[in-house]
Amino acid sequence: MGTYLTKRIIYMIVILFAASFLIFSLYALTPGDFISSNIKLSPERKAELREIYGLSKPLLERYGIWMNNVFHGDFGFSLAQQQPVLKLFNQYIWNSFLLAVVSTFLTWVIAVIIGVVSAYKQYSWFDTIVMVAIFAAMSIPSFFIGLFLIKILAVDLKWLPPGGMLTTGSNATGWAYIKEVIHHMTLPVIVMTLLGVGSLTRYFRSNMIDVIKQDYIRTARAKGLKEDKVLFRHALRNALLPAITLVGFELPALFGGSIIIEKIFNWPGIGQLYMQSFSLRDYPLLMGFTMLLAILTVIGTLLSDVLYHIADPRVRLH
Amino acid sequence: MMKKGVYLLTSLLIVGSMLVTACSNNSNDGGSSSGTAQTEQGTKDTAASSDAGGTSALTEPYTAADLSKLPDVAKQRTDTIIVALTDPSGAFTPYFTQSGYDGNVNSLLFGSLVTVDDKGLPVPDLAEKWDISEDQKTITYHLRKDLKFSDGSPMTADDVAFTWTILFDPSYDGDSIIPSTIAIQGAQDYKSGKAKSISGIKVVDPQTISVTLDKPNATALVTLGSNILSKAYYGKDYKFGNLSYIKNLHQTPVGNGPYKLEKFIPGQEVRFVANENYYKGKPKTEHFIYKTSEGDAWQYLETGEIDYTSFPATTENIEKLKSLGFTNILPYTASNYGYLQVNLEHEALKDKKVRQAIAYGLDRQSIYVDANEGAGAVANIPAPPISWAYTEDGINPYKFDSEKAKQLLDEAGWKVGAGGIREKDGKKLTIHYLGSKSKQTDIFIPVAKENFQAIGVDFQPEVFADFNSLVSKVESGDYDLVSFSTPLLQDPSDGVMQFIDGEIKAYDNPKVKELYDKALATSDIEERKAVYKELFQLLNDELPVIFTNYKKTVYGYNGRIENLKVSPFVGLANSLPDWSLKPVQ
Repeated sequence: MGTYLTKRIIYMIVILFAASFLIFSLYALTPGDFISSNIKLSPERKAELREIYGLSKPLLERYGIWMNNVFHGDFGFSLAQQQPVLKLFNQYIWNSFLLAVVSTFLTWVIAVIIGVVSAYKQYSWFDTIVMVAIFAAMSIPSFFIGLFLIKILAVDLKWLPPGGMLTTGSNATGWAYIKEVIHHMTLPVIVMTLLGVGSLTRYFRSNMIDVIKQDYIRTARAKGLKEDKVLFRHALRNALLPAITLVGFELPALFGGSIIIEKIFNWPGIGQLYMQSFSLRDYPLLMGFTMLLAILTVIGTLLSDVLYHIADPRVRLH
Repeated sequence: MMKKGVYLLTSLLIVGSMLVTACSNNSNDGGSSSGTAQTEQGTKDTAASSDAGGTSALTEPYTAADLSKLPDVAKQRTDTIIVALTDPSGAFTPYFTQSGYDGNVNSLLFGSLVTVDDKGLPVPDLAEKWDISEDQKTITYHLRKDLKFSDGSPMTADDVAFTWTILFDPSYDGDSIIPSTIAIQGAQDYKSGKAKSISGIKVVDPQTISVTLDKPNATALVTLGSNILSKAYYGKDYKFGNLSYIKNLHQTPVGNGPYKLEKFIPGQEVRFVANENYYKGKPKTEHFIYKTSEGDAWQYLETGEIDYTSFPATTENIEKLKSLGFTNILPYTASNYGYLQVNLEHEALKDKKVRQAIAYGLDRQSIYVDANEGAGAVANIPAPPISWAYTEDGINPYKFDSEKAKQLLDEAGWKVGAGGIREKDGKKLTIHYLGSKSKQTDIFIPVAKENFQAIGVDFQPEVFADFNSLVSKVESGDYDLVSFSTPLLQDPSDGVMQFIDGEIKAYDNPKVKELYDKALATSDIEERKAVYKELFQLLNDELPVIFTNYKKTVYGYNGRIENLKVSPFVGLANSLPDWSLKPVQ
């Protein structure tokens, strides 16, 4: 296990280096920079500003400077926001994380329950209805369902706020603050869960169907075990194993924010910030954020490999 | 033949406008398609599009019909006004702000020496008066007595001198136009380190400051008379060549405007509280909030979460605002103009006649006014109709006329060849058009294609989802026409600047330069008006770019707000201190 980890970590560093170079070149080669879209400036002033921002230096030199700073824990200074990139991440990522963690949790719980039940009762009326509903939920675009729910629940019925994270001007603290945030996040969480639950349910259902047909399930039943024990102890555990792979992918998603949802619900998350930065060509922020996601992805895969080993002794790590 | 063309065009337009309505329903309505509301909306739309004769339905302010419909959330607010603002980012230092939304925030935190009225003419603000020397090169500002910053410290001429000086520091990295357009005497020596201070800036006494320019510039009075930073606060750590410390002060501004920053919540709100040290006295409403609203603002206005926001002046939007019952509506034309930049390096487009033919041949009325349900107007000069310099005297309106366009192309030597496309010296007349992805471009392309086909021009549109990619394509020179719009313009010279500073490549007309300079050489408004008239007539004839449109907007706001005015040049900043909420039963 020890040697395995050292090996993996060396691989990770190499991958991250390659990723950093790729990310840098990708952004450096996209047409236009932060200054070119500012129609207020004269050509001479633009040249002067490029000099100050270091955008006129050769590409490799710029990459070197960037990497050097990153190693010193400095992800740069956002040109558009005029603040350190890491400070911005800190301000926005946790809002995205809050939405993602709650909706991911709900998605998994609902998907596991529905997946197990519909697999167990395969081809029953319940299974059919669930499958149809799931396909419907998956195929409705998020902006539509988001706007639709705002119209119904916020504008017409006035049960929930139409967006944002706080009541405008509110000075709530402590419990009142928490209640306010929960009130505001209900709508976006509903939409995110609705959209995510479909594919996951299908995944668990098919895993479950495979497992139920295995010999050891028959053996367990033959031993006279109760049906719920068979289902949840023996079948579900094994059906969940392949889902560990998904855990690795969930990690960057938890921090990555959701561009569309955040925009519709005016949620102060990182997805929105990223999207604006892209149209402004705010390179330090873009590169910093993409790099962060790369790091999380690499860590996520490592995590799922190790979890596999822990959950399933048959899996050996070399 | 002709008739058929018209039919096709009309049907296309009808389909086009239906598409637009459908689109706007989708995005503005906040989820639209439900029950009775939808049918109502539908009938209103048909009624609206049948009378869409061109002009916007609303020209005068409209007063709310029924304030009792105001949502409770808004009724309960007694000392707070909330306005939607797309996305303030948190850098609240004038001249160092990169986002225009932060500029909106700054305009409430900081006063100016000189501001402008609704016509764009200079009026006193922090400076009570000013003198301009005989040779037009020296401006002397006289500050009001007892001016104070929001922290209670006095504001003097030294603060003004400090503010101007740091803009010429070599490390200044903001996007103020002062360093590149206002030539203060000795400023370049300061910038290069040859001089310890800027010789053209003289503090006469604590309330008087004068500035001398290398050559007269009529915009300098207002441009230099902008926001003033406190030297004691922003200049504490200033060393020549190092302004980076200012970045740490962005979120703790010390200003001299009507409001003070109370709290900035990233991505959510900017909260203000009335500044008791403001020279006109404390504003009437204690609290003010800019609410970040990235998405649609309709839902917030309808639920009473915000008091004020703007929409395109389409008939549909106006009807919807009226139907809410509790909103006042204020019509407004933005102080900029849209245009088609022409690639003057291309042989065909170098010819003035070809450019004029395009202006005649494009049905701008349909594209920019009718298809937008009246939320626009056709432009023919580089100045908005609200500007003091605007004129229609001697201006060719280039009314849509395919025959005239054909005639001009014939005169230019472009003869109809195979497939109905004009040719000259074996080359086909092709227009490669670039536009950014927007509703307006979606309207432009089908109509323009039809228009160009009618006059024998091959039209090849290309649409960009990303503005930067479009700009670099333009910089590479691979285009014939591209849709652009200027930023908000203050002085009439701002709108013609692009014709003399090399931004429109290959356009070099000494007469335009001469008139541009002449108009800036005096601050007498009547004299300047006359010069601009001549300049606009010249540009209107030459068409270095093809002028297209002005945008019309409406502000919808809570009917409880009194004394609300919006200036096309400075927005709500000047009238905000007077806004008050009248009690509602």
